[in-house]
Amino acid sequence: MPAQANQPLPQGHQLQNYRILRVLASGGFSFVYLAHDENDTPVAIKEYLPASLALRTGDALEPEVSEDQAAAYRYGMKCFFEEGRALAGLGHPNVVRVLNFFRANETVYLVMRYERGRTLLEHIHAKRGSLRESWIRNTFATLMNGLREVHTNKLLHLDIKPGNVYLRSDGTPLLIDFGAARQMLSGEAPTLPPMYTPGFASPEHHTDRSKLGPWSDIYSVGATLYACLTASSPPSAEERLEKERILPARKAGAGKYSSELLDTVDWCMRLDHLERPQSGFALQKALLGEKQPEYRGAAPMLEQLKGALKRMAGR
Amino acid sequence: MKYAIVQDTRVGKRGYNQDRAGHWSTAEAVLLVVADGMGGHAHGEVAAELVMRHIAAAFRRDAKPRLANPDLFLFRAVGRSHGILLREAVNLGLPDTPRTTVVACVVQDGRAHWSHVGDSRLYLLRKGEVLVRTRDHTLVQQLVDEGRLQADDMSSHPQRNRLLQCLGGVQTPRIQPTAHALLDKDDVLLLCSDGLWGPLTGRQILEGISGAPLAEAVPRLAALAETQGGLGADNITALALAWGEEMAVEREGPRTETLGEASTEVQDFGATEPEFLRMTDEDIERAIAEIKEALKRNPPR
Repeated sequence: MPAQANQPLPQGHQLQNYRILRVLASGGFSFVYLAHDENDTPVAIKEYLPASLALRTGDALEPEVSEDQAAAYRYGMKCFFEEGRALAGLGHPNVVRVLNFFRANETVYLVMRYERGRTLLEHIHAKRGSLRESWIRNTFATLMNGLREVHTNKLLHLDIKPGNVYLRSDGTPLLIDFGAARQMLSGEAPTLPPMYTPGFASPEHHTDRSKLGPWSDIYSVGATLYACLTASSPPSAEERLEKERILPARKAGAGKYSSELLDTVDWCMRLDHLERPQSGFALQKALLGEKQPEYRGAAPMLEQLKGALKRMAGR
Repeated sequence: MKYAIVQDTRVGKRGYNQDRAGHWSTAEAVLLVVADGMGGHAHGEVAAELVMRHIAAAFRRDAKPRLANPDLFLFRAVGRSHGILLREAVNLGLPDTPRTTVVACVVQDGRAHWSHVGDSRLYLLRKGEVLVRTRDHTLVQQLVDEGRLQADDMSSHPQRNRLLQCLGGVQTPRIQPTAHALLDKDDVLLLCSDGLWGPLTGRQILEGISGAPLAEAVPRLAALAETQGGLGADNITALALAWGEEMAVEREGPRTETLGEASTEVQDFGATEPEFLRMTDEDIERAIAEIKEALKRNPPR
């Protein structure tokens, strides 16, 4: 796949009632700009511009789409509409808010409320992996409010990962980037191309997409928790299915975090979707300590030894 | 990379050969392709040739000298070749879209990656065992999977030619995620059309390949298939690669990766072609109107 460098919209460009200030992020699928509306309120605008299908060079505003890619380009818009549709119906403090959606420059734009802060990924890097247990529990329990709202609306996020969890300056988390979001239980066969992030996507993403459900998002939340504990990305579910060699959280985080929290993470990351927490509510209760995780990993060797020594000493 | 490739193809008792096979390589990657054009449909050999050429062209374009992602490469290249057949049928003014099966394999970094559509197969043979055999997209394979038929009886079943998926057919094939495996020294990858595996038992294929140097074993196996195929012998094609390196050392034990910008992968839009033809200007306007309507019902504070 040729990685073509698309030109972002120029600084100061007036896009309907929004003035472009700068590029916030760019991916293979889109640009995200910081812009001001007519009241100088900052907004984030996501522009559909798949690098593999459309090319914008020089001063042109409209991307060039080759004739044989035109249909695919149009089709890719469907994913973008799904994202807009998913978010438009949601109004929750822990979910990014959509403000507007429009068509211009032969492409489409999604306008979102701009939030000051940083992604969880940036936060983990900044903290060099030393996140406190209480912070992790509180932040994720709050994030579950947002995810529960998503699931209540019969939607699945399907791409939860540290880069897609945003922390406002006041520390409250919100789910962003619903580019992979899909309706669940929508009789329609999932015809949109699957999008996923290796390491964070559930085994159902790779094997049987008809099994996708809230538990699939729960897996990704587990992997995101895992990333908080270890500052590393877990092996992909595909690799785990081939040969299980994940270092369980129970071992990776032993001594730093309580065994309840670590078991909760390993519970979320069970390969069998039926063995995970089945809802955001179940996971939330476990995170708040109101419920024991329904999975218990083997204590690491050292802990077992300590236990044995204590028992011997006590005899 | 140390490897040897041996290829053999025979017409069998048919008028002409609709099988195609080929291999291409760079310093770091090898591509193997076998396609079996479908005789019941016009110009099966055109379909086989087009698909093989398309995958080879994609390989020559992308392998510089390695493929960034062999799994994704195969998924796309095989998926796109279906659309190419539909288009070429129109360009060439053919009355019917030519159809073909395909099996394609990439070897890179000591790992084999493969993808297939239809009943052309890939075998991975190691130390006298069949380590991998692709599952055909056929009715009989489905019967075997459901436990209603023995594997060695597949080739004698009256509905043995009934394909559930092919390239160029009415239904868009659902390309499965690419499968892969690490190769060990003396492993053999065998790609073949049903003209080869059909008349032979699994044991005959295994023993035929394991028993002798590849340069002798492959022609002998093809000859055996031709003999056992008798008067109805189909086109026979075998393309085999013997791997000459020790298994790439893979880190054993628990494995995590440094936490980076884990990027979201989007699978190819092209793989689902007919679907996106439906996205018209009106569809776009309707989708936008729906979203605006939802925003109106649920106004931002």
